[in-house]
Formats: sequence, structure tokens, C-alpha cells
Amino acid sequence: MTLADRNELRQPSYGEARGAAWLAAELRDHLWPWGSGAQGGRTSLRLAGFGLAVAATIAWILTALGHLSAGAIIGWWFGWSVLEVFVRLDGKPYVKEGPWWGRLYRRASLMDMLCYVSFKNLLIGASLFLSLKAMGLLQL
Amino acid sequence: MFSQRTLRRLLAPLAALLLTSAAHADTYEIKLPPELSSSPRLCDYAPCSEVLPGATSFSERKGQPSYVEGYRDDAGQKTKVGYVMLSTDITDIPAYSGKPVVTLIGMDTAGKFTGVKILKHSEPILLLGIPESSLVKFNNQYLGQFVGDNIEIGKSRPEENLIGLDAITGATVTVIAQNQVMMTSGTEVAKQVGILKPVIRPQARFPISDAAPSWANLVADGSVQHLVVKPEDLGLKGDGRPYMDLWFGYLNQPTIGRALLGKDGYASLMARLKEGEHAIFIIRTAGMDSFKGSGFVRGGIYDRVQVRQDKDSFTFRDLDYVNLWGLAAAGAPAYDESAIFIIRGKGFSAAYPWKLVFLGNRIDKETAAKTFANFDREYWLADSYLEGGRPEVIKPDPTWLKVWKDKALQIGAFIVLLLGVAAAYANRDRLVRRSSHKNKWRVNAFKYTGWLLSIGFVGFQAMAQPSITQVLTWFHSLLFQWQWELFLSDPLIFIFWIFIIVTVFVWGRGLFCGWLCPFGSLSELLYKLGRACGLKRFQFHLPQALHDRLKGLKYAIFFGLLAVSFFSMGLAEKLAEIEPFKTTFLVGLLNRSWPYTLFAGGLLGLSIFTERPFCKYLCPLGAALAMPTTFRWFGLKRKDECTKCKACAKGCGSLAIDTKGNIDQRECMLCLDCMVLYYDDHACPPLAQERKRRDKAGQPLTPIDARGYFIPIHPAPARSATEEKHS
Repeated sequence: MTLADRNELRQPSYGEARGAAWLAAELRDHLWPWGSGAQGGRTSLRLAGFGLAVAATIAWILTALGHLSAGAIIGWWFGWSVLEVFVRLDGKPYVKEGPWWGRLYRRASLMDMLCYVSFKNLLIGASLFLSLKAMGLLQL
Repeated sequence: MFSQRTLRRLLAPLAALLLTSAAHADTYEIKLPPELSSSPRLCDYAPCSEVLPGATSFSERKGQPSYVEGYRDDAGQKTKVGYVMLSTDITDIPAYSGKPVVTLIGMDTAGKFTGVKILKHSEPILLLGIPESSLVKFNNQYLGQFVGDNIEIGKSRPEENLIGLDAITGATVTVIAQNQVMMTSGTEVAKQVGILKPVIRPQARFPISDAAPSWANLVADGSVQHLVVKPEDLGLKGDGRPYMDLWFGYLNQPTIGRALLGKDGYASLMARLKEGEHAIFIIRTAGMDSFKGSGFVRGGIYDRVQVRQDKDSFTFRDLDYVNLWGLAAAGAPAYDESAIFIIRGKGFSAAYPWKLVFLGNRIDKETAAKTFANFDREYWLADSYLEGGRPEVIKPDPTWLKVWKDKALQIGAFIVLLLGVAAAYANRDRLVRRSSHKNKWRVNAFKYTGWLLSIGFVGFQAMAQPSITQVLTWFHSLLFQWQWELFLSDPLIFIFWIFIIVTVFVWGRGLFCGWLCPFGSLSELLYKLGRACGLKRFQFHLPQALHDRLKGLKYAIFFGLLAVSFFSMGLAEKLAEIEPFKTTFLVGLLNRSWPYTLFAGGLLGLSIFTERPFCKYLCPLGAALAMPTTFRWFGLKRKDECTKCKACAKGCGSLAIDTKGNIDQRECMLCLDCMVLYYDDHACPPLAQERKRRDKAGQPLTPIDARGYFIPIHPAPARSATEEKHS
């Protein structure tokens, strides 16, 4: 065990899913920051976050269409990431402990969540950026 | 609105204030007049006479790629003394920053370099770390050298006719790129003006065949090639169309020529060609511009396309153009621009590979300045179209491969070091089990060896200290122009980064930061030496609460640098001087101005009294690596008792164990002290307690299991007298 304090262990929002269902649940867990049920978080934060997520998506589309500069999309992405940290701390306050294929989760501190969200969004942003650039839809 | 300009305005004076003693960087990111790259009168905008001493007047730009002639005034008579060329007119080889070093080069009529002047560069290392004068000194090594000589970075090898140039320590990639720029530029002009003669290659002979391949067959066997240039490649806005979509092929080969032009067309074309002349066709199937060039005039040259074979290039004039009336091959695509060009150079041979080159201009969006950019596609007739098949062609190694070969021994030693440290760490369980809190040499022997080698060999000798500037440079290259060759040119850094990325995800940042970072190793070694020298009573750790607050500073520095890099890479590179790595390893503590020396020396001095102050609180690279460490696969072990017991936490030099006994993996340097305690039945309180209990009870001490506890003793049920008897 890499954690001394077992009280830090957490159960992910998707419970005990296995196989392909587990992979799908993992994917949803990374892409969908809002919790459900008891872990759903505050409605106001949920609504604000949902609004910003829509705005960030629109910003990506506008950028792809050449109406926004790369600086603007980076700004949007950063803003969205900041909000995602709070949304997740509210609704899905855990991060994985150990290998990505494992099932051990721990309570996320603010720093854990900052690292998780920034790194995850950096990867998503880089993938989107490189895909759009490869398709010739984004120019710098 | 907090605009980009506002941010620049605020940050620029701040950086200037911080860096008042920075080396004076005259040409770093300087704004050059746009006419420099476009005006026929190059020397009205560039100091040509400085690179061609004795020349008093200069011609307009001429040739393809362009150069100017310089003349001396001999009693009213103009005498040609040499040539001046602007590197960006000729080649687009980028330096470490991903942008070219704009260089003005002078060469006399005998082909010897007479002067080199840097007009603009974007090299961060030359901005602060290494004085720009080093690049000037490097360039001065070319003066008097003949353009046709074999000049490379490294030691001279007279037996191979190789002239070696001294590199700039710590800027290897920059000078390798600069050498390519110098030699490519000089060679291109020397060939045009007749100083260097073209290589005469044996001509191809073609087998007789009645085959009539279709367009698809010709494409499949490589007889017709495709060259596509995207608008983004030239800094233009895209609308889904390619900027240039060209198909081309060699027409002299009878099977191919007849298939493409029809029998009559082929016969007619061949009748026009003299011996040693060759024809190629080009069609444009889509695109935003003409491949013939909009500025073409009668008697001029086609400045958008040329053919290159090895180091020889062949351009086309109006007399080299023949109309292409149609393509006979079945399935040939529709096209809206076409040409047949005749290659008249004696050196061309279809038996050897050649390239069609599209010459473009890349536009810088910020400055609107144009820089030369070329795009090429190789063409080589298939074996079946050549009598006797393709001749053997030995292609010279690319520059990066030469560097790898030259440094093979160093690279080998470095890989052994990395694998050795990784193997030692992978076997940590065995090592810590054989150690005790009083005798940790089995672990420390590996760790200290790693430190000494990383300081001496990696840091001072190979100068392969990873830095946040590399992360920022990669980020920039990813955005603008990624070139593997550029990063492969510095093999040790390249290998180090692969190792770092892999080990961060497997074990966390600690293996690099704690065992292999040259500066980190030096820092902790000083702390250990201080202790050994009797300074222990002066050594201290910050209170945990203060440490917990200060450790966030390095993340703020990292995010600050990342944010600034979006607006100004140059400013980010300047601010990255918070890393004392350049001062310590690349340039040397005594070779820099006093603020840098004071800063680096101060940090190292402080390291004697407190463990790794820079790594804990300031290192942006450490912060960048700490973030993915959150997701490392394999962490250190903890027991349930660790929540209450503070034994490990008390001895943790990294202050990485919190009040609940959990290890903050982002801060952990993987020193393994806590793991030694974990298995030490004289030091780990729960283990020691159990050991004492068993000793008292007369029970044996069973081995310690992977969870860090003695294997429990399960008393076997006593056997009955009957069973005893039977056995």
C-alpha cells in the first residue's frame, strides 16, 4: 500500500464496473467532470461549469473556423481548466493512486486536482491542437 | 482589457530590471527591414562591405538562389572581388529556436569565405547564457576557408580531408545548424558562379519495353511523384485547398515517356533534345498559386521550381520550357497548369536519385517578414526502368547521425549510467532490505555514484543538464515547426528526456531529481559534505508548515514561465535564468557576470546548510515533472502504523511525509531512507516492538514480508501420540 492513511481511499463515481464497461466509465470520468447522485456537487457550480464548458467548446469551434486566435483558445482552455478543478473537487473529489490500469483512488487535495486537471487538459488540448493543425483547420 | 501588448509592456521592463547585467544581445530577435529579403538592392539594407572587405559597390540581387557581386573601384574600373549572400535567400535551416539565424556571408572569387555577420538570431542560449560574441568567434573560424572543403563541427581529421571547427560549448545544436547554413549557402553560390564544378555522373541507359503503364501504375512504381505544399507551411491561412499540388515525372525513359505523352508526343520531344539533355513534366492539379511564378518575364528564370541532384541544382529559363499538350496515360488527372522543363546541366543523370524542389516564401505573421522555405520530393527511376537496375548510391549520413556517431562512446557511457541507476532503483526492495538505518551503503553506493557521475560526467563534461528552457523550446517547436533532426542533434539531452519521461510515469520525478539531476546532485552532495565536515549543528530544515507554503512557489514559477512563453518566448527564456544551470555547468561560475554567479553560488552555499533549497522551492523543471508524478505507477510503501508513527517523517530530508504519514510523491526525491526504515526491525517502531515481543516470548524472528511485517507464526496443532507412532 502506498498510502498510510486508509481513510484517504475513495470509491470512484462509477463503482465496480469491469472490462469494457470499466474502460468506458474511466473515459467518461476523465471527460465529464460533474459527479452524479450523492457526489453531484452544488447545482450552481454545476450550471456555471456546464455553461463554461459550452463556451469553451464554442471557442474551440470558432478557432477551428479561423475566427479566434490560438492565444484566445489557450485562454479559454486555461479558464475552463481552473473551473474544472473546482467542479471536480466538488463533484468527483478523487484521483487515481498508482497505475492507470489499477482501481485504487484517493481523496484529491487541491494540488492533486490541479495536477490532474492541468495535465489531463494539456493532453486533451495538445491532441485537439495537433489534430486540427494536421487537418489544416488551425494555423499559427 | 488586459491585452497581450499590455502584458508585454508590464513584463518587459520587469525582465529588464531583473536582468540589467545580461550580456548585450545586439541581434536577438531584432526587427530587420522587410526590404532586406525583398529588395533587389540587398546591400542598401545590409552591411555587405563588412563581409566582403575591399568591395566598394555591389550589384543587384542575381541568380537563383540569389546573391550579389561585390566590386572594387580600380581607377574607375570595376573589378569583381567576390560575392555576398543572405543565408535566408538560400536555405531555411532552423537553429535551436526553430527559427533561422539570418547571416550575411561574404566569399571571394576564389571561393574563400571573407566575412560572416549575424543580422538576426532567436537563440535563447545566446541571449543570456553564452555571449553573442561566442557565435561571432565561431563564425570567424570560416574566414579564409574554401567553400568546397569538408568543414564540420569537431576535431579536424586530416586523413579524411576534414576541417574541424571548435563548437560553442553549450550551444552545439546552434553551431551545427550554423555550419549547415554556411556551407549550404556558400556551395549554392559557388556552383552558380562556377567556383565549384558540377559532378559528372554516368548517364542512365534504358531497357526496351512495349509496356504501356497507366497513370496509376506509374504512380505506384514511383515514375510519377506527388509534391504537396499546404498554405500553413508558408504561414498562410488555409481554406481547405493545398497551396500547391504537383505531380511530376521523368520523360526521357521510353516506357514512361510514351505512356505519358503518347508515341508521337514522346518522339517529338526526344527529337528536340540534344545529347545529355533531359525532360521532366510538372502538372498542377490543385493549388492557390502558379508553380511557374507570377513574376516570370521573358529571358528570366522560373523561380518557383528547380531540380536538385545531390549538391547540384538545376534551374529553368524560358528556353527550357516546352508546352505539355496533354497526358496520354490512362487515368491521368485533370490539371490547370502544366509544363515540360528541360534539364541542360551536364551533371544530371536519371540513373541517380534527384528531387523536385518547390521554392516558397514563409511569411512571419508577426513581422510580415518573408523567409525562404523549400519543399521537395525525391524521384528515382525504378530498377525495371534502368538497364542493369539502380546503381549503388551511398547517401551521406544526416548531420544528427554524424553527431551520434562522433559521440558514440559518450552516448554509450551515458546510457549505461541511466540503465544502471534505473536497474539499481528497480531493485530497491533488495537493496533496502540489506541496509539498516545505521548502514545504508548498499543504497547509497548506487546513489552517490549516480551523483558523482551526473555532476562530473553529465553536468560538467557533457553539459547535458536538462532545463525548463528545453520544455519551452519544444513547446514552441510543436506550435510552429517540429523538426526531429534539431533535437536529435543533442543526443545526450534527447536520451535524457526519454529517460525522464519514462521514469516520471513509472516511479515519479524522484529518480531524475534525486539521483541524476546534475545540479540537484551537486546541491545534496554539498549538504552531505557539510555534515561530514562538522557543520551538522548549523544545518536545518524549514518548519513543515513553512515548507508546505513555500513548496508551491516552484509551481507558480513554472506556470508563470509557461504563461509568459505564450506571449514572448524570448522573455520566458530570460526569466528561466532562475535556473542556475547555465551558470553552473554551461558557462561556469567564474565566466558570468556577478549577479548570476552570486545567485548560483548563493544557492549552492545555502545547500550546505539546508537540503536542496532550489529543488524544493524554486525549480520550475522540478515542478513540471512533479505534476505528472501525481500519476506515477509505483510509489513507496507505507504501513497502517505510519499514520501515527513519525519516525520516517522525522528523517525525511525532502519533508515529503505529511502529518498523516502519507508521502507527497511530488516532493519525494526517492532517497529511500524511509524504505530502509520500513524493513529495519531495529528502527521501524512497529517492527522493533514486534521483535522485542518475540525475543521476550522466545519466538523465532521470521522473515519480513512485502508489507513490512514479520511473517506471522501460526502454531501447528500438536500431533497425537498415535500419529507420532505411525510416523
